[in-house]
Amino acid sequence: MTFAALIALLVGMCLLLFRALIGPTMYDRVLAVNSFGTKTVLVLGLLGFVMGRPDFLDIAILYTLINFVSTIAILKFFRYRSFQVPLVRKTDAAPRGGDRNG
Amino acid sequence: MADVFQLAGSAWETLRFPLGGATCLFGGILCLIGTIGVIRFPDFYTRLHAASITDTSGAFLVLAGMALMAPNWLVLVKLFCMLGFLMLTSVTGSHALANAAHTAGLQPKIGPIDQRGNDDHEEGGH
Amino acid sequence: MTEVMIGGTGTALINILFLGILFVVAIAIARLRSLFAIVMLSGVYSLVSAAWYILVDAVDVGFTEAAVGAGMSTAVLLGAMLLTARTAKPEKPLKRLGPFIVCFATGAMLIYGSIDLPAFGDATSPANAGVGLTYLQINWYDMGVPNVVTSVLASYRGFDTLGETAVVFTAGLAVALLLGFGERSLASSLKKQPMTEKRSAPSGKDGGAA
Repeated sequence: MTFAALIALLVGMCLLLFRALIGPTMYDRVLAVNSFGTKTVLVLGLLGFVMGRPDFLDIAILYTLINFVSTIAILKFFRYRSFQVPLVRKTDAAPRGGDRNG
Repeated sequence: MADVFQLAGSAWETLRFPLGGATCLFGGILCLIGTIGVIRFPDFYTRLHAASITDTSGAFLVLAGMALMAPNWLVLVKLFCMLGFLMLTSVTGSHALANAAHTAGLQPKIGPIDQRGNDDHEEGGH
Repeated sequence: MTEVMIGGTGTALINILFLGILFVVAIAIARLRSLFAIVMLSGVYSLVSAAWYILVDAVDVGFTEAAVGAGMSTAVLLGAMLLTARTAKPEKPLKRLGPFIVCFATGAMLIYGSIDLPAFGDATSPANAGVGLTYLQINWYDMGVPNVVTSVLASYRGFDTLGETAVVFTAGLAVALLLGFGERSLASSLKKQPMTEKRSAPSGKDGGAA
């Protein structure tokens, strides 16, 4: 049954890949990739259990964190066009959305 | 009294593997249904709804199933760490995604289903 | 112990699924023109290939691939995207003929060379019979670390690993110095030039959607 769950997750990953390929907007692609990362984490955990070696969970934890960091980096790139947010609003060429958070 | 506990313990030892497998399978099927929603739903916000709901509940069920099958305490602690991280990060990621899309001016599709135009187009790329 | 339900066909099925996803992603990366989608898909490629490395028991390679490929290189590629256009130029089909021939010849030679390799997991191959066997035998008494790869990388070849780490660190530092991040980055210094000011004016109007 664990194996069936693994196969279901892998098929779900294939479908998400389809959405990431055709995604009409950038946000659809980010959504698909983020969800893909979560499913990769689950697949890694299940893979450890199916193969009888649950020690693989360390790598799944690493994947969780990396997935989160990369999603936030992408969204920050969207919003500020840079990875570093200026703390004060500049008068010239202020990045979009920078005034929302002060 | 003691052998009742022993009996329950041994029954639990035999029962937890099929139970965990079934929970994992249920979570996997939930994830699959959510990804079908991500494919089929009409606009970004509904797709986000489908993906984020299955990312939380499906992931929770799969991790709970793995926790039922855990061979020792270390694996259980790792699974709880993963559950905590996933519950924090996937919800935050979904919120940040919706916030970024809304700030950028992405409009949801509103109206009856038959009047919904198929105006999916590649945004950006100028 | 947990139930082990995976046999030869199960492993083969998961292998086929992973490699099929990798194949589709690689084809899509080659075909797509939107650079942002390519960056996203390269992140997917790293994640799936790292998962596949773990499936074939190369856990340390999978760890490195996940950290570098999915985490670091996405950020670096996005930083590089700030400097350039959003889409790649369409290519003439004939221009790809030369690279295709080179790739095809190299692949054919590699496949031809792999015929002579010993079989996977062959106990009598030189890698398993010589020094590898010695490491497997003395590892537990020397280190007490169950994973042989870890003990070889971190102890027997410790200086080598230190040198590799220094090389990777220097490369990352050079990339960070070239691209820069934030205030002093190349992108923001390009933005300050008057040449690009009239280009940045309409981009503020379209809602900031990249």
